[in-house]
Amino acid sequence: MEFQSCVNIKKEWDIVGARQLGRDVARKIGFGTVDQARIATAISELARNIYLYAGTGKICFEAIDDINQKGLSIVAMDDGPGIEELSQVMEDGYSTSGGLGAGLPGVQRLMDEFDIQSNPGQGTEIKVIKWLR
Amino acid sequence: MNLTIDVSNKDKLTTVSLAGEVDAFTAPKLKETLLPLTKEDGQTIEVDLQGVNYMDSTGLGVFISALKSTKEHDTNLKLIQMQDRVHRLFKITGLTEIMDIDNTVRGGM
Amino acid sequence: MSTLKIDLENYKELMRQYIETKDEQALYQAEQFSKYSMQQNISPEEIINVHIQSLEALYPEMPEYIQSSLDFLLETMISYGLAYQEYQSLREKQLELKSEISVAANMQKTLLATDKPQIDGLEVGAVSIPAKQMNGDYYHFVKDDNGALGVAVADVVGKGVPAALCMSMIKYSMDSFPENRMDPDVILGSLNRVVERNVDSSMFITMFYGLYNINNHTFRYSSAGHEPGYYYDSSQDKFEEIDASGLVLGVSSEATYEQCTKKVNVGDMIIMLTDGVTECRQGDRFIEEDEVLEIIQKYAHLPAQETVEQVYKHFERLQDFHLRDDFTLIILKRRV
Repeated sequence: MEFQSCVNIKKEWDIVGARQLGRDVARKIGFGTVDQARIATAISELARNIYLYAGTGKICFEAIDDINQKGLSIVAMDDGPGIEELSQVMEDGYSTSGGLGAGLPGVQRLMDEFDIQSNPGQGTEIKVIKWLR
Repeated sequence: MNLTIDVSNKDKLTTVSLAGEVDAFTAPKLKETLLPLTKEDGQTIEVDLQGVNYMDSTGLGVFISALKSTKEHDTNLKLIQMQDRVHRLFKITGLTEIMDIDNTVRGGM
Repeated sequence: MSTLKIDLENYKELMRQYIETKDEQALYQAEQFSKYSMQQNISPEEIINVHIQSLEALYPEMPEYIQSSLDFLLETMISYGLAYQEYQSLREKQLELKSEISVAANMQKTLLATDKPQIDGLEVGAVSIPAKQMNGDYYHFVKDDNGALGVAVADVVGKGVPAALCMSMIKYSMDSFPENRMDPDVILGSLNRVVERNVDSSMFITMFYGLYNINNHTFRYSSAGHEPGYYYDSSQDKFEEIDASGLVLGVSSEATYEQCTKKVNVGDMIIMLTDGVTECRQGDRFIEEDEVLEIIQKYAHLPAQETVEQVYKHFERLQDFHLRDDFTLIILKRRV
């Protein structure tokens, strides 16, 4: 069983849609309540980053069903300005919006695997995975 | 203790009125306000220090860098209504010799 | 008390016990439980989850709205959990930084170390205490070819690491000056050019430089915008200010420095200090110049090193053991 589904992020309301879809996929894979909540929070952060800094982008979900392990893969993509100093953004206590968001380090904590690629002017792609234990 | 900064502008004269303490905590805020003013063509910046009862060396540093900037950009910096205690600092450091400081000193608190 | 484990059974049992007995004992165990959870990096949402599962096990008939409300609570706790984890990692980083700074502070001590000279007939006392870990004040002794003693006391604007870095630069420039030409005005002039070329526009340094001639007991000095020093006349039990005009280092490359000379009599003292001494505060009140001199006078009968230490202790206590600025005090006292 493998499928991919995406949510476009254009307005703040789309964050809720992305959470909903992500949670549904997570529940089907078999994640418990706590992990569902964590995944939803991670999606919020990713979607909010797109909404605030890139304007538009999308978030895609894919169930991973290998012989050895099951999990959920989430990819957030945008064509925004990109991130110049990745190491700075990944540092705790760093937040450009000055808000209370958990930021990307928070997303990294909520998930098991985290990968980010970004070039100034060419947008950002973040891929995260949560494994089912 | 805090520092309040009021800026008012009239033609080529900008008056910056300060009240409170100019120290390591408030100096960055003052620098942010003062330095851009010194780069505006033909400006005279008058800093009114009547309400400043304390200044430390970090605060003095802000005025030194403002002075250097006025020389680079051909603008003018003038300090007026300095309290005794603050004036002593400018005198000891020799800055009274190279800065335009209004000599009618107000008493300290 | 047995060691607690955060598992379903344990939590469920404790909760059941409490619901039945309303016993303080169970609540105390709950407290232990939360501390243990923090040690194990267990976040709040996990505890709520354990709580929900325990409730389900104990009350299979639990109404659905309670279940939903607890799910709602769990969701709201996620961000708190994240903030807590972030706090933990920042705390670790802070410890790392602290230890790095203390290594740097030790290096600074070694770099800037100066030996207090032993000179017949002249007592030397010196203290220099940083307000934070690193010192933005500096003093240095050097003996020249003719046996004269050079003393430098300096203060960099600001405190902490930037000030300390700047001071190291000063120290190395001074070391590179020839030892046979130690006129205070010349030294300050050379240092001024070094500082003017090398530091940020808002940075400057004040320095008092004195040269004590052992042969004829005269003290020649210049000042680059530094706090005036004092001369203590023991025959009259009076202080007089010693100051020379000169601009702080690093502002204008053209600055020149006045040089003055003072004859030093037996029993008299030369006092050099930084504004950490004169700008002491007691609560919101600044201490007055007279108070500083009064305290120095009070301990003037002691050997010079004890005098400076007692004066420091006095002002340390006056400021409730929290220095606002680096504190440096040097005393030269002519014995014979």
